[in-house]
Amino acid sequence: MKNYRYALTAIAAALLVAASTSTWAHKEKHTAEQLQAFEDVFLEQVKLGDALFHGDPAAVKQMGVTLSETGMACAMCHPFAADIHPHEFPKFQEHMNEFATLRDMINWCIEKPSQGEKISSDSQAMKALEAYIYWSNRNSKLDPGRH
Amino acid sequence: MNELENDRRAIHQQVGLSGEAPDRSISITRRTFLHRSLVLGGASAAACGLFPLMNTLDLAYAAEAGGETFKFAWISDTHLYPKELNSRFVEKTIRAIKEVQALDPPADFLIFGGDLAQLADPVELALGAELLNELKIKKVFIPGEHDWYLDLGANWNKRFGASPWFFDHKGVRFIGLDTVSKAVDFWTARKYTPAERMGHMATLDGTLGGAWAAVGDKDLKWLDSTLRSWDKAKPVVIFSHNPLYEYYPPWNFWVRDWREVNEIVKPYSNVTNIHGHCHQVLYNEVGKMRSIGMLATSWPWPYAPEGVPKLTKPMVRADPGDHFDAQGWAKLTWNKDKLDNEYMMWRGKDGFFAEAAVDSGTGDNRNQVLSPRIVDRL
Repeated sequence: MKNYRYALTAIAAALLVAASTSTWAHKEKHTAEQLQAFEDVFLEQVKLGDALFHGDPAAVKQMGVTLSETGMACAMCHPFAADIHPHEFPKFQEHMNEFATLRDMINWCIEKPSQGEKISSDSQAMKALEAYIYWSNRNSKLDPGRH
Repeated sequence: MNELENDRRAIHQQVGLSGEAPDRSISITRRTFLHRSLVLGGASAAACGLFPLMNTLDLAYAAEAGGETFKFAWISDTHLYPKELNSRFVEKTIRAIKEVQALDPPADFLIFGGDLAQLADPVELALGAELLNELKIKKVFIPGEHDWYLDLGANWNKRFGASPWFFDHKGVRFIGLDTVSKAVDFWTARKYTPAERMGHMATLDGTLGGAWAAVGDKDLKWLDSTLRSWDKAKPVVIFSHNPLYEYYPPWNFWVRDWREVNEIVKPYSNVTNIHGHCHQVLYNEVGKMRSIGMLATSWPWPYAPEGVPKLTKPMVRADPGDHFDAQGWAKLTWNKDKLDNEYMMWRGKDGFFAEAAVDSGTGDNRNQVLSPRIVDRL
C-alpha cells in the first residue's frame, strides 16, 4: 500500500511541475506547493530508509529485502547513521579493497556484518537507505576520497 | 559552541571542583601505554588504561589497612538472540566465558554488567543463564535495558536477582546499581504491547524512550545510606550499566541524575564506576569518581558525535569485517603502586589505542555532523 503512496506523491509532484506554464524547471518561478511537493518526495524516501535502517519488519517486508538473517539492523552499529561517513564517498574502501561508492558500501555491510542478501544498487530500498543516510549526515562537510 | 557543550561546561563548573580528582592510590595503567604522570596526578594522564568487554581488575587496598590483592572479571552487552537466529553472539559470549574460566589463579568473581539479552525474550535470558552457568566462579548481575522492557524486569529479577545490592570483599565495597528501570511510561497511553515497548527501548537512537537512564530517588537514598557505613578512605567500586556521568544523553550514555550521584560519592576518596552500555573504550573523571567504560561482546558502538570525555584515549576504529574486532578482555595486576593492565585483545597484534587522529574512532569524524532519526518522532 505504501508503494502506491510513494508513487502518488511523486506523481503529484510531477503534475505540479507539469501544471506550470513550462514543463521544465528553472524556466518559471517555483510555487510553494511545488517546493513542498519536491520535499515530500524526498522525505518519504528518508522515512522509508530510516525504517529499513532500523530493521522495521513492515518496511523490510514491503521492500521484499533481507537486510539481515541474524536480527542485526544497520542502526545497531550506526546510531544516527554515525560512522558511515557518506560525505567521504566515493573512496578507496580498505576492507573492500576497492574504490567504492556509498551503495557499494551499503551492500558490503548488508552481506558481511549483517549477514543479509545484497540488494540491487538501483532498487527503491537502496535509494531509500541512501536518502536516510545522506539526510542524517546532511550537515557534514563533503570530503570525498578521505580515508 | 552548541547547547550541549554549554550545559556540559556549566555542569563541570558546578561539580568539577578545582583540584579535585580521584585518589591516585588506586591508579589504572596499561603496560604498553604507561602513564607515569597519572601516578603523579597530572590531569592529562587520566587518559589511561581502559578495559574492554571482559576485564579482570586487580584492586589492592593499602596493605596497612588490611587489604588484599585480588582480581575479578567483567562481561557485559552480549545481546543474545535465540541461538538459532544469531550464532555469532553466542560464539563470542562463550569465548569470553571460557577465557574468564581459564584465568589461573581464578578471578574471585564475575560481574555481568547488563544487556545479556537483546529483546528480554525468556529464550534469550535462558540462553544467557545456560552459557554463564559454565563459569564456575561467583557471579553477580546488574540489568541492562535490553533485559528489562519486555516484562519490566520480572524474568530478569527472578533469574539473576534484584538490584541494587552491595557486598564487601577484601577491603573493597562493591555496589551494583539498576540504572535502566526508571524510564518514564511512554507505552501505557499509547497502548503499546510489551514487544513494542521493548522494541523502542532496544533502539539506541530511538526517541520514544527518552532519557530513561537513571538511578532514581529511591536508589539514590539507598546508595547514600549504603556508603555512610563505609570508611571514606576505603575503596568503593560501583557497577552500573550506564555511565554515571553525562556523555551523550540522546543515546542514554549517562544517567540523568548523575549530579546527585556525584554529590553522594563526593566524601569518598576512592570511587571507581565501571559501566557497560556504550560498547567502547571510555575513561572519565568527575569530582573524585572515575568512570571506566567496557566493551561489549556483541558489537562496538561508534563514539558519539559529541561529548566524548577529554580524558578518554580513544580506541582504533573497529573493522566491520571482523566480528570479533574491538572486543577482547584485559588482565590487570597490582604491582606495588599501580595497576598493570594487560590487554588480551581479540583484534590480534594491531594496536588498540589510536595514536593518530586518522585511526581514531573519534578523531576521524572531523567532518561528520549527525541528526536524530526522523521516523519515530511524534
